[in-house]
Amino acid sequence: MKGGQVDARGGIQAGITSFLKEALSKGCFDAVMIPTRVPAGDSFAWILTDNEDLVAGASPLPPVMPVQGARALSSITKKGKAPAKIAAVMRPCEVRAAVELGKLKQVDLANVTLLSMDCPGVLELSTYLSDPTKGDSEFSRLLDKWDAESLRPVCRSCTHFSATASDIHLGLLGAQAERLYVMPLTPEGSRVTDALNISADQELDSWQAKVDEVRQKREEQRRKSEVELKERVEGTEKLLATLSTCIGCRNCMRVCPICYCRQCFFDSDALEGEVAAHLSRAERKGSLRFPLDTLLFHLGRMSHMSLSCVECGTCEDACPMSIPVGQIFSHVARRTQELFKYDPGKNRYEPLPLVTYEQDELHDFEQPYVKTYSGKGAADA
Amino acid sequence: MAESFDPKILYVMCGWCGTGGAETASAYGMYYPENVRIFRVNCTGALSTVHMLRPLLEGADGLVISGCHPGDCHYDDGNFMARRKVALVKTILDSLGLDSDRLWFRYVAHGEARRFVDTAAEFTDHIKSKGPNPLATRSDT
Repeated sequence: MKGGQVDARGGIQAGITSFLKEALSKGCFDAVMIPTRVPAGDSFAWILTDNEDLVAGASPLPPVMPVQGARALSSITKKGKAPAKIAAVMRPCEVRAAVELGKLKQVDLANVTLLSMDCPGVLELSTYLSDPTKGDSEFSRLLDKWDAESLRPVCRSCTHFSATASDIHLGLLGAQAERLYVMPLTPEGSRVTDALNISADQELDSWQAKVDEVRQKREEQRRKSEVELKERVEGTEKLLATLSTCIGCRNCMRVCPICYCRQCFFDSDALEGEVAAHLSRAERKGSLRFPLDTLLFHLGRMSHMSLSCVECGTCEDACPMSIPVGQIFSHVARRTQELFKYDPGKNRYEPLPLVTYEQDELHDFEQPYVKTYSGKGAADA
Repeated sequence: MAESFDPKILYVMCGWCGTGGAETASAYGMYYPENVRIFRVNCTGALSTVHMLRPLLEGADGLVISGCHPGDCHYDDGNFMARRKVALVKTILDSLGLDSDRLWFRYVAHGEARRFVDTAAEFTDHIKSKGPNPLATRSDT
């Protein structure tokens, strides 16, 4: 990977904001979408601004992820191309979700510069809210040490923590003290680095080595946590026990960057039944539990969005019952994505797996025909 | 499993080839098990993943889908899309330790009456040997 360097005196976050401020003042973009600490001090929200002072005071890498950045970007560009150039400063999983939403026509990336940075992960939202000061100091320790124990479970085993489909990637790993790496990944990214006179021709070996090292650790963690998760949720009994506390609030669906439908199928009239239907259903099943269709909702949602799931874990943060939805969904998503060899958010031009096909594929899922079945039920006239 | 187990089987067929196979079977007076309920859709490609999941949670012991052979789809690519969706649903079920073998996908052409009755009988026996679908009778799905 090739790139350049910028100054980061005053810390990583200050380095990123001063880079943005300079780009903004030189007219590389007209506005910046960036997370900022809320006035109350205990959470973060996205702002869209061209005010350099607001950008300077923003938190490009907050310790938590209350709102997935791709959702924020979708709010801005859902109805079409932005008339002015917007720089969206996001974590890698948010960039990937934005790319997926672009394919789903919920984000228009035409006039958007995506800016990502190496992300150590985030803390659990509820833990952070209980003591923001402690959370802040823990996160600055994480930015330095890059260990994983205090992170959310999905972040601990995240392997997409570095350069993705963004236009510019800021490398924190392996950089010298008070420096940041800047990597233009697309012509759009090069436009920005050229305007800022950053020569991006340096081989970033120390960054690459450090990224590989962290990735290796994360992969190991992923294997371990997958075994533990299977132990907890695999099979009818365990899965239903895990989901039994679900209150049907749909928070997981509402905060999910990929779930964009205006009317969710699982909240629609399609699943409403007449009284008699519920009674006969209760009779057939012995009894009926409410809220209804918990498993159908979760399995159905997996079938709708798991191919684009970026494993951001926002669903798990939003679950009031602490069901490990993020871990379950990312476990399933890895398998479904592997099935179609699809890496969400990697390539803007690769079609979504369910809008395309190949003629010669997936033969394992076709039931082979045994010529003239002669089982016990096969008597015919 | 006791002989008394009479599985509920939903056989989803496309309106062009699958049901055509059933028509040909009826023209020849062929027999298929009574517990198989045929459900006609215009094209297997029109089936959503939720159509595949819901019967398995709500009372069916097995679900079998038959559409046109590759290249024969009336709408060109419906059966290829269906194959992708079946693969997706089966993978989801598998990765959570749920039984994906209660969902079958097999091509049946208009003239393949034999193949249709064989599939109905073979799948019925397959589900009989598996026993009742645990999810179908649970109240907490």
